[in-house]
Amino acid sequence: MDREKVTIICRCNDVTLEDILKAIESGIDDFELLRKKLKIGFGPCQGRGCLVIAARLFARKTGRNLGEIISNYTFRPPLVPIPVKYFTRGGEK
Amino acid sequence: MKVLIIGAGVSGLFIAYELLKRGVGEITIVDAKTPGSGASLRNVACFRSSFTSPEHVILMKESIKKWLEIRDSWGVGIHQNGYIWVARKNETIDVFKKLSQFHNSYGVPTRIIGKDELKEKEPYMNIDIVEGALYDPTAGKMNLMEVFTELYLRVKKMGAKIIPYTPIEKLVVSGGRVKSAISPRGQLDADVFIVAAAEGSKKILESIGVDVPIEPVPRHPIVTEAYSEIIKAGLVIDWDTPGSPHITQTSHGSIILARDVKDEPWIPLNSQRFDAIYKIVKPLSELYPALRYINITRYWMGYYDMTPDHHPIYGPVHPFENLYIAAGFSGHGLMMAPMTGVVIANWVVDGKPGIEVAENLTLERFKTGKLVKELAVIG
Repeated sequence: MDREKVTIICRCNDVTLEDILKAIESGIDDFELLRKKLKIGFGPCQGRGCLVIAARLFARKTGRNLGEIISNYTFRPPLVPIPVKYFTRGGEK
Repeated sequence: MKVLIIGAGVSGLFIAYELLKRGVGEITIVDAKTPGSGASLRNVACFRSSFTSPEHVILMKESIKKWLEIRDSWGVGIHQNGYIWVARKNETIDVFKKLSQFHNSYGVPTRIIGKDELKEKEPYMNIDIVEGALYDPTAGKMNLMEVFTELYLRVKKMGAKIIPYTPIEKLVVSGGRVKSAISPRGQLDADVFIVAAAEGSKKILESIGVDVPIEPVPRHPIVTEAYSEIIKAGLVIDWDTPGSPHITQTSHGSIILARDVKDEPWIPLNSQRFDAIYKIVKPLSELYPALRYINITRYWMGYYDMTPDHHPIYGPVHPFENLYIAAGFSGHGLMMAPMTGVVIANWVVDGKPGIEVAENLTLERFKTGKLVKELAVIG
């Protein structure tokens, strides 16, 4: 509905509540697949803003365990986005 | 016929897809973790047929045909926008000419392109540091996340049962046949067993005394924030820098950069290297100076499941009548996956792969010493 269209879950990639509900309805029953299909957590925030909200929504809709869902996500470096140029000076080739 | 496929990666799913198309009804796919959690969704999502062995060239050519059919019938993002191998040294052009001759003799239309054409194809590239390039117009890239989820949903809708979090610890044999697969969650029986579990295949087959020479070697890609199109080709490879740094831009706009930074096999995928980002971005930002101002958002690791001759292991596992393997793709599992499905499904249903070169790729070759030679393993 309208509220679902304007409720944004992932702000980096403009993923709405409607996008997530539709994807779950289409048969995606794995949170990592849902995340990857919609690119939730693929932006500059790397999931800090959206991951828990999306996971909780997924758990509620599918009856799955929230802890199990979240445990598949790996946090990786860098913690915040860093420009490439900081890695181009000095050091070995 | 009950079929158990071990590994719900892109290979396992395509095998299920082709078996279901051939009317094999009862298919279960198990995965140690979740669908696509191995190399299937960790790679740079590109494809090419410009290899240097007849086995790879022929199978990949057929695979590209399949990918293009999939693009048209599934309506997913698959783009045949070419590979570009860049030469920084003049003498490399001679190497490219030889490679191109080999490709052309197998009907892969690679060709040398000069600096002017390169500038046209890659307007953001610093042409001053390159001498020319080898161009493969039939190669390309895909929206991997879209393609994989579509494949997953289709296989499920066609009737396959996909069970996550079910690591297979061993197989049980009786009278020359595999009878069941054992996981901590219970026992799975089937008439046919297909092991498509990348490096995990090694331990599974060890349990019945079969040696699978696969060593997983970590790769270290990084990805940036999303931008409008900067990299036009499917993949650009910096041939003259050791470890062949390569770069692609996803349909999402993020840019993936990677390089072979030489690593030991079996190193866990959470043990990041402190030098990886430096080594990857330095040569590639010489090639694309605009990269310098773009933010890196993530650095991850994934395995190339390497075999001694860098070719996959396909087909029946002797002496067992009902056991097959599809593993050890050595970094090319995604691009080959549609043909993996065809070849293994044919083997199961008809007793032969239906494409002759696949018979050179059985596990037997490591016993008989008939290894396949591949010279260029890049993306």
